[in-house]
Amino acid sequence: MASRNLPPRIIKETQRLLSEPAPGISASPSEENMRYFNVMILGPTQSPYEGGVFKLELFLPEEYPMAPPKVRFLTKIYHPNIDKLGRICLDILKDKWSPALQIRTVLLSIQALLSAPNPDDPLSDNIAKHWKTNEAEAVETAKEWTRLYASGA
Amino acid sequence: MDSEDDMHDAHDVESLDDDFYSGDTPMGSEDGDAEYDFVDNESEDSEDVTSHRQQQSYTILSVSDIRQRQEEDIHRVSTVLSISRVAACVLLRHYKWSVSRVHDEWFADEENVRKVVGLLEKPVEMPNARELPCGICFESYSSNEMTAAACGHPFCSACWRGYVGTAISDGPGCLMLRCPDPSCGVAVGEDMIRMLASDEDKQKYSRYLLRSYIEDNRKTKWCPAPGCEFAVEFVMGSSSYDVTCNCSYSFCWNCTEEAHRPVDCATVAKWILKNCAESENMNWILANSKPCPKCKRPIEKNQGCMHITCTPPCKFEFCWLCLGAWSEHGERTGGFYACNRYEAAKQEGAYDESERRREMAKNSLERYTHYYERWATNQSSRQKALADLHSMQNEKLEKLSDRQSQPESQLKFIIEAWLQIVECRRVLKWTYAYGYYLLENEYAKRQFFEYLQGEAEAGLERLHQCAEKELQVYLEAEAPTKDFNYFRTKLAGLTSVTRNYFENLVRALETGLRDVGPSGNQANANKNTSPKSLLGGKGGKSGKAKVIGTSSRSGDEAWTMATIGLASTAPTRTRGRQTCARCANSTGRFGLCCLLLCD
Ligand SMILES: [Zn+2]
Ligand SMILES: [Zn+2]
Ligand SMILES: [Zn+2]
Ligand SMILES: [Zn+2]
Ligand SMILES: [Zn+2]
Ligand SMILES: [Zn+2]
Repeated sequence: MASRNLPPRIIKETQRLLSEPAPGISASPSEENMRYFNVMILGPTQSPYEGGVFKLELFLPEEYPMAPPKVRFLTKIYHPNIDKLGRICLDILKDKWSPALQIRTVLLSIQALLSAPNPDDPLSDNIAKHWKTNEAEAVETAKEWTRLYASGA
Repeated sequence: MDSEDDMHDAHDVESLDDDFYSGDTPMGSEDGDAEYDFVDNESEDSEDVTSHRQQQSYTILSVSDIRQRQEEDIHRVSTVLSISRVAACVLLRHYKWSVSRVHDEWFADEENVRKVVGLLEKPVEMPNARELPCGICFESYSSNEMTAAACGHPFCSACWRGYVGTAISDGPGCLMLRCPDPSCGVAVGEDMIRMLASDEDKQKYSRYLLRSYIEDNRKTKWCPAPGCEFAVEFVMGSSSYDVTCNCSYSFCWNCTEEAHRPVDCATVAKWILKNCAESENMNWILANSKPCPKCKRPIEKNQGCMHITCTPPCKFEFCWLCLGAWSEHGERTGGFYACNRYEAAKQEGAYDESERRREMAKNSLERYTHYYERWATNQSSRQKALADLHSMQNEKLEKLSDRQSQPESQLKFIIEAWLQIVECRRVLKWTYAYGYYLLENEYAKRQFFEYLQGEAEAGLERLHQCAEKELQVYLEAEAPTKDFNYFRTKLAGLTSVTRNYFENLVRALETGLRDVGPSGNQANANKNTSPKSLLGGKGGKSGKAKVIGTSSRSGDEAWTMATIGLASTAPTRTRGRQTCARCANSTGRFGLCCLLLCD
């Protein structure tokens, strides 16, 4: 599908994502649908996800930028704010969305969430509990999952 | 017009009132001057009603009342804090429309309040450039095509309109709209909305603002009746949650279910849930027809009271609830109303486990059915009474005034009677939910409760029948009827008696009948418990009823009262009739003549 009906803002965002990617993040639109992005985020250093390559999908709904993009992890990840289906608990993807935010800011926020898990605002109760009762062990599991599922092979 | 039996019925209610509630009416009645007492009673009652209405614990607000109050509050804050109307509105919204809270917070720490709600002390100008980039569509525009909130963050008008429109269609959150810039929290107030929103959206916004004034305030709620636009302001700490809206709907301010005194909110929620779960089993109850117990033809219930007369030629009179003959109603239980009571079939002999379980399941459904049917029937009876009340107000009263040559102002007692019936049907209905959840093992309580409920049922039946059927005669009369004044006295008397009875019943049930001891405790209960202290609330005072009553009620204690330790002071149910101590008339169940008719 061509970019014919795309608002100029989306075209500009896409061009900038491709020409000046944020460190550790890549996002490229799919051939068939310019509103659908294949995303890769590198696990931040000094986090349990270090060394992992995480695949995500990002979709810009018709109302974008008045409505937030829809984002989800495709790679399995052990994280208190991300559930089995890869859905992410992040305020700017919900009520804190503002049309002045962008794809880039969303992906940077997700990257930051990997560095700083927040078990007090969990999406996955079990993992959050694990994190709160035995953080060291939870971090080990996260590392283990990173090795198993996000080794980028 | 009345058979002797009917007269007795009226006697019963009046005497019942006297007996139970003389403690409530501090009259000099030890001398037993019945007629004087009655008159006294009446004026006492009307005073009661007025004072009741004056100390109402709530205020009904119309949409224009609400707008006016809201405007006044905004104006007050704007004046006291010397800020714009729009800023005052933002502040009040944030602090849930509490003027005092706004003042407190503001004068304690204005700077912090400004930060929290997004109000700048001085507006910031937009960047001074010929062309500015819009942070939403990423296009550039000349600065006169750009708009900004007080913070000066520029966005093009098209993006602003999209932003505001999206927020309004997302719901009441639009009342707390902030600048789209993610690093900025400046409030976007009503002035911006007026400038940027479509007409339709402006209306929605102002509707949200109005709703917020009611919904975010702890002291106000909307009337839950469908389509009703009134709101209710409640005085916190009032003793009763019952509220009657100007649309005539009564509801509980606490849980917003329909009014449900004397049952508490938790029980109501349980009961409603139970009814939902059982609704398939219970549909047949809501069907409005039953076979006549005598001729088996289906009879439709098209009236409010439970006394049903089959169509000619059968004309069998029976009770809608228990299908027993009306003439014997109560007789088989020793002269009092007992069709409210559920008695599980007694099972004898040995059962195997599965049989017993099946039997128990059947019993529990039967028990529920018993209470549900009475609950539901009183509900539909109430609906019927409401409809009758309206037709009375809208047409019949005029007709009656015509037929009986009475000014309509002299016929208010009929409206009062119907209002009372509507209210009592509601209370009676909820006593069945109350009864359902009374514990099986609280034997004494259950006995006493069923006794009180039975009396309430019987009293209300009489009032309902009088207003429904006896009135008919006067409506259809060709010329003014001589005994219309008699009818007036009777209906007004029944209304007042029934009102007192139900008010006291509600109070007694609300205190959980806590004065009733367990049945093993008879000796104590005998000394300390009387229906007066239970029902009168104020206790202490002994009225004439007791004085008259003691002589006639010494020996013949009804078994239920004896078992619950109320024998000495309970209104004694006697088998058969007795003689009134004053007029030598045959008396009602309590050995007391009806004061109303004894002259
Ligand atoms: Zn724009
Ligand atoms: Zn701003
Ligand atoms: Zn209403
Ligand atoms: Zn309630
Ligand atoms: Zn019949
Ligand atoms: Zn009956």
